[in-house]
Amino acid sequence: MSTLTQAARPSLLRRWGGLLLWLLLLALLAIYPYTGVTGSALFTATQVFVLVTLASNWNLIGGMTGYVDFGHAVFFGLGAYSMGILVTRVPLAFSPELSFWQALPLAGLVAALFALIIGLPTLRLKGPYFSIAMLGTFVAMREIIRILRPITGGGTGLDLPPVLNRVNEYYFMLGLMGLVVALIWWIRRSEFGYTLIAIREDEIGAEMRGINTTMHKIIAFMIAAFFTGIVGAFWAWQNTYIDPDVVFIEQRTVEMVMMSMLGGLGTVWGPPLGAVVIYFLQDVVWGNLLNFHLMALGILLILLVLFLPEGILGSLGDPSSTSLGRLLRRAGRRQE
Amino acid sequence: MDQFLQALASGLLLGGFYAVMVLGFSIIWGVMGVINLAHGEFRMIGAYAAWALFRAFGLDPFASLVIILPVMFVVGYALQTILLNRVVERPHLMALLVTFGVSISLANLYKVIYSADPRSVPVSYNGSFELFGVTMPIVKTIIFFLALLIMGLLHTFLHHTRLGKSIRAAAQNKDAARIVGIEIHKVYAITAGICIALTAGAGAMLSPTQAIFPFMGPPFTLKAFTITALGGLGRIPGALLGGLLLGVTELMVATYVPGIGTNLGVAVSFVLLVVILIVRPQGLLGGLRPMEVE
Repeated sequence: MSTLTQAARPSLLRRWGGLLLWLLLLALLAIYPYTGVTGSALFTATQVFVLVTLASNWNLIGGMTGYVDFGHAVFFGLGAYSMGILVTRVPLAFSPELSFWQALPLAGLVAALFALIIGLPTLRLKGPYFSIAMLGTFVAMREIIRILRPITGGGTGLDLPPVLNRVNEYYFMLGLMGLVVALIWWIRRSEFGYTLIAIREDEIGAEMRGINTTMHKIIAFMIAAFFTGIVGAFWAWQNTYIDPDVVFIEQRTVEMVMMSMLGGLGTVWGPPLGAVVIYFLQDVVWGNLLNFHLMALGILLILLVLFLPEGILGSLGDPSSTSLGRLLRRAGRRQE
Repeated sequence: MDQFLQALASGLLLGGFYAVMVLGFSIIWGVMGVINLAHGEFRMIGAYAAWALFRAFGLDPFASLVIILPVMFVVGYALQTILLNRVVERPHLMALLVTFGVSISLANLYKVIYSADPRSVPVSYNGSFELFGVTMPIVKTIIFFLALLIMGLLHTFLHHTRLGKSIRAAAQNKDAARIVGIEIHKVYAITAGICIALTAGAGAMLSPTQAIFPFMGPPFTLKAFTITALGGLGRIPGALLGGLLLGVTELMVATYVPGIGTNLGVAVSFVLLVVILIVRPQGLLGGLRPMEVE
């Protein structure tokens, strides 16, 4: 993981270049709806933004802090259900139903609060125990939502008021994605971010130096949960229908893990890159082999672990760190 | 009181099945430190194999074990040789991700082959009998005693044969085992073969009592994890104790918590898992670390 600890004083361009490129890209994307594209193209772009945001959030806890969360979709589901319940079932004095903008931050807070409650005990667990505890939390939450029929509608789900506005959805997700990736970029350069990486590399060592590791882990977990919850809430609004099986779906977690891994765990730009690559890979597979789509995802995950464990960006930084990189280098040497 | 006895008996029968189901998971984890997230999928494969054999040849699920066990041994051996041996000595996460990938691929492969419709194996003796006023389902009673037999055989194998001893040696100290000439990767492959065969066998045995569908796996993987956490790693008595505890707990909750039905029984085991991991990460019996196989 030597690629992640770069030289102490990189040049100004190196320090700010990433953010500048990001802002430029966002500005270009902001013009996109004015180029006369169809609603479905905007919808596709919005889906990519959702994936980028989710992968970046997962990376904060899974990649930077090294706590591989196999149940992160639980926060997505909680956000979606908070939105659904607030919009359809909470009669307030000043308005019959809460609106999208009122429910949105509440959904994020619900997810973050749950992250605090579940994180306090589970983030003390090390390695695979944390992963499995989160997987258990995820599956248990799906059952609990199914059982709480009076509030959540049980297996029949909830219908949200249909408000279809592809352009607004596009700009909302674009803004959220821009914010989250910029936040991750800032965290990665801040003392907070270096502390998270120290926790990943040597948690006991970090503790020895007087770092309150539990607090840092919980804050990272809560930030990741907050934005994942907001994405979930947005998704519920956009989809206008939620039930336990469409919201609490394992695939969502799998995608977050894979996108981060493909791009490079713990890097700022890896997960967004991985998200875009996987989306288009899925699109190709989806179009041609509809039924084998998830199977192909699983096989891709296995191949990634075996041949590209550091991800695309990680391998670019240090080719010798991956078997594929070593293979390429060996092939290159043979030609010389 | 009758209700209590009934719940207790059903819980114990369920627990016996859980115990035999969890053995494969527990031993793979105990011997090579790999948490097999595809565990439930191999159980699903066993159940589908039993269903297919029953449909094509009218073969009884218990008789089909004669075919399923050797075939799945080869599958497990191949899985270990091709995939797991490559990641077994790398950080835990890698093996976790590989088995996660195997799990998704298998579940979706089976969805493509058999569709998502639930299947069932209607055996003729799928009834029940009365014992001291308690209703005992026949199939589950057979499974319970078969489970005890399998555990006894496995215990004997691990303790009194040369191969079994080398598996335990590999679990206790990999490097020392290498020094005395044990081929670790081969021992791992044989272990995986036995464990996958056992898991699929358990799936085949349960096929008469439960609907079979491609996505039945993950809850069982989590239950296996719960039971292992309850009973301790790679221990056969621990698997039995953990299985019985979980089985009885699930049935008791389903019986005495009104108005919610058996779904909560499933949720309870996951809540139990999270609680155990938090309160006693080393497992109730304190053996939850990749150390020894009794």
